[in-house]
Amino acid sequence: MLICDEYLTPASLDEAFAAMAQHRGRSRIVAGCTDTLPWAREGRAGDVNIPVLIDVSRIPELNERRVDERRVRLGAATSIQSFLDDPALARALPAMPRCAVWFADDQIRVQATIGGNIVNASPAADATPCLIAHEAEVELAKNEGGKIARRRMKLADFVQGPSRTGLADGELLTAVECDALPGYGGSFEKVGHRRSLVISLVCLAVLVKLDAAGHTIEDLRLSIAGIGPRPLRLAQVEQFLRGQALSAGLLEQAADMPAPLVASRTRQEYRREVVRGFMLRGLINAAKRAGADPAALTPELEAAYG
Amino acid sequence: MVDFRLDAVINGRKVSRPAKPSQRLLDFIRDDLNLTGNKEGCGAGECGTCSVFVDGVLMKSCLLPVAKAQGARIDTVESLAKTGELSVLQKAFHKAGASQCGYCIPGMVMAATAALRINPFADREEIKERLGGNICRCTGYQKIFDAVELARDVQNGRLPASALLEEDYTDGDFIGKNVRRLDAPSKVSGKLKYAGDMTMPGMLHVQVLRSPHAHARIVSIDTSAAEAMEGVEGVITCADVPGEDGFGVFVNDQPIMARGKVRYVGEAIAAVAAEDLVTARRALAAIKVEYEALPAVFDAFEAMQPGAPVLHDYAPDNLTKHIPIRVGDVEKGFAESDLVIEETYSTQAIEHAYLEPEAGLAYVDHDGVVTVLSPSQNITHHRHMLARIIAKPISKVRFIMSPVGGGFGGKEDMIYQGMLALLAMKTDRPVRLVFTREESIVSTAKRHPSRTTLRMGLTRDGRIKALQMKMVCDGGAYGLSTEGVMRKAAILGAGPYAIPNVQVDTYGIYTNNTPSGAFRSFGALQTQFATESHLDMAAERLGLDPFEIRRINAMQDGGFTHTKQKLGKVSLTKGLDALEKACGWEAGPPEQRGATRKDLGRADTRPPVALGARFEAPGKQEAAE
Ligand SMILES: Cc1cc2nc3c(=O)[nH]c(=O)nc-3n(C[C@H](O)[C@H](O)[C@H](O)COP(=O)(O)OP(=O)(O)OC[C@H]3O[C@@H](n4cnc5c(N)ncnc54)[C@H](O)[C@@H]3O)c2cc1C
Repeated sequence: MLICDEYLTPASLDEAFAAMAQHRGRSRIVAGCTDTLPWAREGRAGDVNIPVLIDVSRIPELNERRVDERRVRLGAATSIQSFLDDPALARALPAMPRCAVWFADDQIRVQATIGGNIVNASPAADATPCLIAHEAEVELAKNEGGKIARRRMKLADFVQGPSRTGLADGELLTAVECDALPGYGGSFEKVGHRRSLVISLVCLAVLVKLDAAGHTIEDLRLSIAGIGPRPLRLAQVEQFLRGQALSAGLLEQAADMPAPLVASRTRQEYRREVVRGFMLRGLINAAKRAGADPAALTPELEAAYG
Repeated sequence: MVDFRLDAVINGRKVSRPAKPSQRLLDFIRDDLNLTGNKEGCGAGECGTCSVFVDGVLMKSCLLPVAKAQGARIDTVESLAKTGELSVLQKAFHKAGASQCGYCIPGMVMAATAALRINPFADREEIKERLGGNICRCTGYQKIFDAVELARDVQNGRLPASALLEEDYTDGDFIGKNVRRLDAPSKVSGKLKYAGDMTMPGMLHVQVLRSPHAHARIVSIDTSAAEAMEGVEGVITCADVPGEDGFGVFVNDQPIMARGKVRYVGEAIAAVAAEDLVTARRALAAIKVEYEALPAVFDAFEAMQPGAPVLHDYAPDNLTKHIPIRVGDVEKGFAESDLVIEETYSTQAIEHAYLEPEAGLAYVDHDGVVTVLSPSQNITHHRHMLARIIAKPISKVRFIMSPVGGGFGGKEDMIYQGMLALLAMKTDRPVRLVFTREESIVSTAKRHPSRTTLRMGLTRDGRIKALQMKMVCDGGAYGLSTEGVMRKAAILGAGPYAIPNVQVDTYGIYTNNTPSGAFRSFGALQTQFATESHLDMAAERLGLDPFEIRRINAMQDGGFTHTKQKLGKVSLTKGLDALEKACGWEAGPPEQRGATRKDLGRADTRPPVALGARFEAPGKQEAAE
């Protein structure tokens, strides 16, 4: 049970920082609360007494979004549902709607925020690997002598391990900025115990850009979570595939590469198998959505993984 | 705690009243506004019994601090039939028989309402997807999907409104017809009150202190600090039991609260009644228990070994119950067999996971009758046990059965009713306990985990000549229904097959695991899983169709069961015929079938059998493509 004496809903960043300063050491930030409330239950943190909860989800700046051809800026309180509802976001972040559709359920997606997903830093958080594939940076803000000071950090560095991030005392995550990748084919592969309401055992975000003929891999982004303490960008595989002509043999080779990275606490053997399947399925699906020449992929491979 | 004023529009009415910062929207609507239609099933966003509309968007009110509802428009299940007339969807749920225990139904109706608002033409796959956040444990979902499809078609004018009203039976002619449940309107509207929905003036809230140890001696319990807390009206331990302590379904081996030692993680040790839930929980934290850890045993086979830790003095070998069955001479039967198959099968503990966590309300009435209201599946037996435990004549003990929000056998045990009675007596006030989902899982019975070794001998023509079965079940820390489960497992284990030589032994064993108890099919599942799997293997080895091998061995009219019960009429083969037809079975021995199987990817194929619900569409994104 989460017990608090006060629940504050600041209407601006300034108000939020003032509340954080006033209740320093006896408060906690919340946004959607979809991680925080289930955490304060028997078997996890149990009964938790936090004198002041500061809910940042209504701060207008944290709800702003900007999208152009090159960059995307997402306020930290952007809901996961936004990626399904906002066509501009779906275009700029082609794997994100696929991530969102597998995320929790219709109801929780409306409430769950990307800021919460990132700061909660679960090894299985779904949005984080997707954003890492877009070279995301987090914007962190704090109040320094009455002025708001901001700094940036790569999301891949910000998430350090289970529940560990680079967030400093007194700081808020205000926004995420990342590459817009319109024209890329995106896919998101996820496995858990059932279809809805389930966290990932493994998830993989794939973004592929092909040349006009649909033959050559001009660029690709791969990021995986659930196989270790934090999400990883698969830079080596990216390097191996970039500039190559799409072929079944090539993808099979690439699919074998991440297996040695599996360092989860449990079920490593299983995860290695999943990773291989996901690599093939993710690459094939993303390539198809990027306009791959059907002749480049063998029918057997497509039948098995497409 | 600083109360704040919440201004919102709830079910169309302006509400402006104090709310507590710790409250969730669910607590506010249920406790403060007495809108108990929406339920709490898990408190962690998993089950959807609490789904409400917030500014028109469906959300889980157990995940919403009430402050998030400031200025919002909230619609609960009560809003759907405000005029007194059920909505089209609610009528469709009634018509389709979509409500059983009813506990998930208010949330389900809300989710279905949301689904059809978002897409009035949603097909069945999309409906499944949109109901993905809501769990039902009774229906298997098919009737719920049927209901939503029916409502959709009526709303779209594809079906006339009368489709919601048609009855397919006429008076006096009910068998084989869909007869509407009388209680469905109260369930689809959220009007039905389960125990956790009920309150009484002056009611106290109960919380239970539970053991963190699997096996430990209780050296001391100090409740003085808890008792001294403001708002705490009563604290009880086993010392408060006035009569002869001990309950169970067959053997009364479980005390109301741990006595002398604890035998499993989650066992009740003490209980508190306080003015509010938070005070009760704080009081639990103030109770000091000193334990001395004892060696524990978590495996039934280990518990059967000499020298294993002993749980109960009366059972030095940890044996709860052994049921033997002997028919004919199995060795002779094996000698006459052409094929003998031996395998070992195991099954795991399973939680019933009824959507309604245990809850109960107790009071002592004006005539001094100790009254306990709870979704108990066994009130008469509970009443007799409680009378003995609290040392009162049976006329001074009353049990009222509240609507059971799913039981499946899991609510047969008197696991908390005794504590409620004692606290009502001690405080002379009504007391209510509502389990959390975690508490329900940790403390109540599970399906018996089992290991069954089965040997079966058959002749070449598929006749079973001998069956020898030994099953060992982990009964956990207390007896509960273990004896009955072992009995049914043995009686039904050899299946509905005429077998001349049968030897069955089932053993229920004490361990320091969560107690095992009643669960749909009561032991038959475990043993028949072995027998039925075995028959499939035998069919393969003998080149027989799996239906055929069962028909060859089926008990016949006028035959006898393995325990010598005479059978008038046996409908097994009729059932097999109907099943074979309905599932689209492709006849033939297992390894020869499949020429037309679709899942093997050949041309001109069809599904090998028709299956039930499956989530096929990965989501609206994929579906849109
Ligand atoms: C039933 C269920 C299913 C779920 N399914 C999934 C799933 O499929 N995939 C998945 O990834 N997750 C899932 N989750 C987890 C959760 O919904 C997500 O992680 C969500 O994105 C968390 O966001 P929130 O705003 O609700 O977090 P909150 O609970 O509000 O916050 C989480 C943490 O982040 C911190 N925080 C939040 N915002 C900020 C900020 N702006 N600055 C600094 N710190 C901040 C909080 O202090 C807290 O520590 C599920 C949860 C539930 C209950």
